[in-house]
Amino acid sequence: MTKNGKIALGIVVLIIIVIAFVSMSGNKETGPIRIGFVGPLSGDAANIGQNAKAAVEIATAEVNAAGGINGRQLEVMYEDGKCGGTAASSAANKLINVDKVSVILGGACSGETMAFAQAAEQSRTPVLSYCSSVPTLTKAGDYIFRNYPSDSFQGKFGADHLFNTLGKKKVAVLYVKSDWGIGINDVFIQEFKKLGGTVAVDDGYDQNTHDLRTILTKVKAANVDALYFLGYSNETVVALSQAKDVGLKTTWFGGDGWDDPKIWSSAGKVAEGSMYSRVTSNPTDAFRTAMKAKTASDEIAGCSATAYDGTKIIAKVIGSVGTDKTSIKNELYKTVYTSGVSSKEISFDENGDLKTANYEVAVIRDGKAVVSK
Amino acid sequence: MDIVPQLIVNSIIAGAIYTMVALGFNLIYGTARFFDLGYGALTAVGGYAVFYFYKSLGLNIFFAIVIGMLVSGLLGWLLYRFIYAPLRERKSSSMVLLVAALGAFTAIQAVIAILFTSQFQTLSTSAGNDHVYEILGGVITQVQLITLIIGIVLMLGMALSLKYTMFGKAVKAVGDDEEVSKIVGINTRVVIGKVFFIGSAIAGLAGILVGFDTGIEPTMGLSLLLKGVIASIIGGIGNIYGGVLGAFFLGFVENFGIWKISGEWKDAIAFGVLIIFLLFRPQGILKR
Repeated sequence: MTKNGKIALGIVVLIIIVIAFVSMSGNKETGPIRIGFVGPLSGDAANIGQNAKAAVEIATAEVNAAGGINGRQLEVMYEDGKCGGTAASSAANKLINVDKVSVILGGACSGETMAFAQAAEQSRTPVLSYCSSVPTLTKAGDYIFRNYPSDSFQGKFGADHLFNTLGKKKVAVLYVKSDWGIGINDVFIQEFKKLGGTVAVDDGYDQNTHDLRTILTKVKAANVDALYFLGYSNETVVALSQAKDVGLKTTWFGGDGWDDPKIWSSAGKVAEGSMYSRVTSNPTDAFRTAMKAKTASDEIAGCSATAYDGTKIIAKVIGSVGTDKTSIKNELYKTVYTSGVSSKEISFDENGDLKTANYEVAVIRDGKAVVSK
Repeated sequence: MDIVPQLIVNSIIAGAIYTMVALGFNLIYGTARFFDLGYGALTAVGGYAVFYFYKSLGLNIFFAIVIGMLVSGLLGWLLYRFIYAPLRERKSSSMVLLVAALGAFTAIQAVIAILFTSQFQTLSTSAGNDHVYEILGGVITQVQLITLIIGIVLMLGMALSLKYTMFGKAVKAVGDDEEVSKIVGINTRVVIGKVFFIGSAIAGLAGILVGFDTGIEPTMGLSLLLKGVIASIIGGIGNIYGGVLGAFFLGFVENFGIWKISGEWKDAIAFGVLIIFLLFRPQGILKR
């Protein structure tokens, strides 16, 4: 046998040993139940992803402390979706094909969930997104769920609040070119015009841009009553400070992407008095305390409560029907979850969307967001 | 309200930042004749060095900036000395060098993300409370004004030292023909090493200034590098004045381009201009 031949044989033997080892060790019925998590653990929306991860860790620890799911421990595989399609899609592929998870909890950003919705649907893996709000996700597939409301609710709420409650008749809209930004923008424009308002500027911008001066100058020149600014943390912090630079003074109204303590604190005084809409949440004191211990912050970023509830819902569903993916999907449609920290009652309609959604308006005061009455 | 003055100022601000990046890139490209992608990551290195020394350790701001420039300059020199120089001496193709540079770029970015997380950070301690000046009816902040002044001073300093100092002449000679320079007794390795140090320090300074203006993140380098490269190519690659001219040209085209159409077209406009130049005037506005 030649030297190369020996090496090749050695490799083949090694592979067989590894495969044998892996298939022996993975005892399906008694080992931990694996579920996947996808969220932006780095990048623009990292704060939201890290907070959501903390919330999932809390929920997992609670489930396991209470004896796990039918005696089996719950194990979560965390993957970074980087708030974008490419990373989220490879993260989900790894979870589905390598880790063989029963359910994927995520993604957070709409672009993440949309990117792997089809792959999940094809592999019949149920997906429960705790933060994606893009309207098109409604029709993404039978296995795709979310316990976070669709933007068709939010865009409509924003239009109604700006026009009727705040009395702003002429507005500008600046939106980040992500599924989330475009989704809300479309619904908002349609609803605001229907109410009889004028949209003077409607401009999109790239997610990673840090130069928004010119579009803010355009907003200033248009002399609007309010600016509906749809951005994630980074763009929003930059925009608030650059608006001050170019001398734009107007009423700011943001979307749920603003539900991030980073915006309230790092933008400093320029954010003072700005408002945004967010999903009404119902955090218990126990959840607040646990989150504070994890994140060392009093503030809970958006989607943490839904991530926590999502984990609990999955644990409950697996507890009653086991780890078969199709049974999990069928059970999710029937589930009514009541003890949530995000909303009092969570149930899904025939598209896997939330049946009801309530929004509230928060105002930024002294680096904190307080609910506006 | 008249929007034009502010648009002009916005263009100048963008141009000033692109100038900084283009100057260093042009210097390195003009001398070593290779597309140094790693240069992009060095902007982030400068920004993060200042973030660490100024914001975390609380050192004096000017001291921190000098250290930031030295750190990125040194890293640029190390990249040259231990990666690019051996490859060049082995007469590796420019493809190999480009891939090596891409590797360096990615590795540096990843290390920064590990050390400092990927989150967006602001360098200035008073975001949005910067001193503001009004010129031509538009508004410019102190940091932006400083960026502009440094850009112009650097341009003049570089142009003059290339023309009148011994080192400058050696740099130009190496850029014209490396082999002949060796024959006439120039230690090309040392000269190019120094060029890498200076160019990378400028990259670091660009990153620092951007950090004070908006903020820093590990991935900030690529978009800065691309804009700097576009500016260099439009203006005339290897030509110092050309790079600056290209930078301001790009700033104006980008900002005036999105005056009447949606802001999402900005990058499409920038790269469209690049393609037009590559097709119809590949040597750029000013020839080397």
